[in-house]
Amino acid sequence: MKKLNEAQLQELEQDLNAIRDEVLADLGERDAKYIRRVVRLHRALEIGGRVMMPFGFIPPVFVAATASLGLAKIIENMEIGHNVMHGQYDWMNDPSLHSQTYEWDTVCSSESWRRTHNYEHHTYTNVIGKDRDYGYAVLRLGDDVKWHPGHLLQFINYILLTVLFQWGVGLHELETERLRRREITWKSKLPFLKDFFRKGGRQAFKDYVFFPLLTFPVAPIVLAGNIGANLIRNLWSSTVIFCGHFTQDAETFTEQECENESKGHWYLRQLTGSSNFTGNNFVHLLSGHLSYQIEHHVFPDLPAHRYREISPKVQAVCEKHGIHYNSASFGRQYWTVLQRIGRFSLPDKLRLKLEAQPA
Amino acid sequence: MLSLLEQNRPLRWLGKQLFNREDPAAFFDPLLTSIDPMLVRQYVPAKVTGILDETADTKTFVLKPSARWAGYEAGQHVNICIEIDGVRLNRTFSLSSSPKQWQQNGTVTLTIKRLPGGQVTNWMHDHLQPGDTLALGEAFGDFLAPEVPEPLLFIAGGSGITPVLSLLDTLADDDYSAPVTLLYFVRTQADVIAAEKLHTLRQHWPAFTLTVVATDAGKTPEYLNDGHLDTVPGISARRCYLCGPKGLMDLANELLYHRAINADRIHSTFFSAPMAALPSDDLGGEVAFERSGVTVSAEGDAVLLEIAEAAKLSPKYGCRMGVCHQCSCKKTSGTVINRLTGKASGPGEENIQLCVSVPQGPVNIDL
Repeated sequence: MKKLNEAQLQELEQDLNAIRDEVLADLGERDAKYIRRVVRLHRALEIGGRVMMPFGFIPPVFVAATASLGLAKIIENMEIGHNVMHGQYDWMNDPSLHSQTYEWDTVCSSESWRRTHNYEHHTYTNVIGKDRDYGYAVLRLGDDVKWHPGHLLQFINYILLTVLFQWGVGLHELETERLRRREITWKSKLPFLKDFFRKGGRQAFKDYVFFPLLTFPVAPIVLAGNIGANLIRNLWSSTVIFCGHFTQDAETFTEQECENESKGHWYLRQLTGSSNFTGNNFVHLLSGHLSYQIEHHVFPDLPAHRYREISPKVQAVCEKHGIHYNSASFGRQYWTVLQRIGRFSLPDKLRLKLEAQPA
Repeated sequence: MLSLLEQNRPLRWLGKQLFNREDPAAFFDPLLTSIDPMLVRQYVPAKVTGILDETADTKTFVLKPSARWAGYEAGQHVNICIEIDGVRLNRTFSLSSSPKQWQQNGTVTLTIKRLPGGQVTNWMHDHLQPGDTLALGEAFGDFLAPEVPEPLLFIAGGSGITPVLSLLDTLADDDYSAPVTLLYFVRTQADVIAAEKLHTLRQHWPAFTLTVVATDAGKTPEYLNDGHLDTVPGISARRCYLCGPKGLMDLANELLYHRAINADRIHSTFFSAPMAALPSDDLGGEVAFERSGVTVSAEGDAVLLEIAEAAKLSPKYGCRMGVCHQCSCKKTSGTVINRLTGKASGPGEENIQLCVSVPQGPVNIDL
């Protein structure tokens, strides 16, 4: 990581705080209108998808219904749920958009998400051993994890994780790696498991039992469409998230580096541990503005549609302090993620040999 | 049809599973409100059907609540919620119309004075238009007419007249025959709210006596004194209702106390609920917001809502004066003092209102 001394870190902190304060002072009707418009779009897509689905025996309708429901889930998870739970809209004092009571359309319960994501991931971003989102305990993405032959197959793990992403996220807090190492007991995880089965059961019931049975004669079509919609969401959201932290230049940190760190150091870690991808407004909406992952990590509780507006200012701050602002096209960033998963599946010797060769 | 999703228990359960929310019918609100704001389910909507000028700084807003609003008794208050620059704000006002009006034509009125610097009252005066909608809570409050007729004395000051108007209207409609006196204190005659209605009542209702005192009319201000009370016949047998600014209420309470009128025959509304004198030496303490993982130490008479906000938390809140319970929250341990009553809570788990609870020693909050 780029090293800054205490005075430089303090200056970085002040520069970023100034950007934040400017947005906070300007929050108002425009932000409320934006999020309400997105919520309206979500409702229209979800209701449209559910209503069309039983007519899915007509192939184009099946495609439209599945796409509509898939888009609805993506928008709800990425632009509404994730952002609302960060408290981005708490200032509106609208109980439907409040971080502590919002429950989203995915297996992971909001309670569990707020603990593992808002607290652990956003506090200990990319700190190996502390940020459990780094590789989700199933992928080796750096040489700080000792290689073993099982890692050769980690591309299969990756495929499974991305296809079943909502279940993976739902089970994230189970901390299976720590259970395996017997650092924690199954008994301590019972309250979590109860919560997981309640929320997971609710989601499975809705998409895989209730709506198919409601339209019994065409149940297989509705079931297939609902599975398809969930799959679309799983693939997209996992890809967006992977592009945010596992790209080539996204840095990792050690626990020692971060002991007693200042706010300035935390800011620096967020800037260097995250990566953006470019795209049009539709891509930004569908990614919940995590295409501006750097801005999101620096200011997780500012309304996400503001990230695009403050991005030039954040870039200017990075330039001033000589910090690399990691941004590239979606395809380019995703390609480096896939490469990283592939490279670190190999034994270190082989990997270093390959890396030494000019590409 | 959506009300079924609220009232029918199995359907409500199903709705929760399908929409991941405690109020499943409100899932459709974003679409319904773009068709008609009165179709919203999250709260009871009310449409502004008229706005009348009472005085230079007081207006009466005529509202037509949606049919599912449960109604009220004369003298009660409601919370209203309006959105200003993207922020929802809750305030409590007295209903100034009689319940009979609501039964007959479905409208209620709020009579609201501009408060200097008041965000909501000024916005309502400047921006609220007929045709707009706002959220209306269910009525509450125990500033109610007596169950059996007995002589009454109302002492009102300024906009404190509003719940009294509702009561007088209702009593007059019932042909209340025991004597009713209103001592109404205003700065000048021009500040009399609902002057026309009061004079009509005086003309058509023989039991009613009206005295308007313009405190600033003379060279020296004329405040409530024994002379005013001496004009009320049989005052010691009267049930008394007080509503107005704190100074007037304090005076009235003192004068009535000296006339040996029993405290349980004196009713006052929350507008003037005096802040209780809090013990000052042992307030504050370590406050742990458990779910947020934040612990802060608080000093003095800061309430938990302010403590939480100072710690960068954003709990739900409403009136910030102990009325609306939007900020109700579970206290898992510790003692808090209710700022309104001065009473201490028990040490165990219970629901408290963040906006009026002052910690006394270490407190753990489920927030």
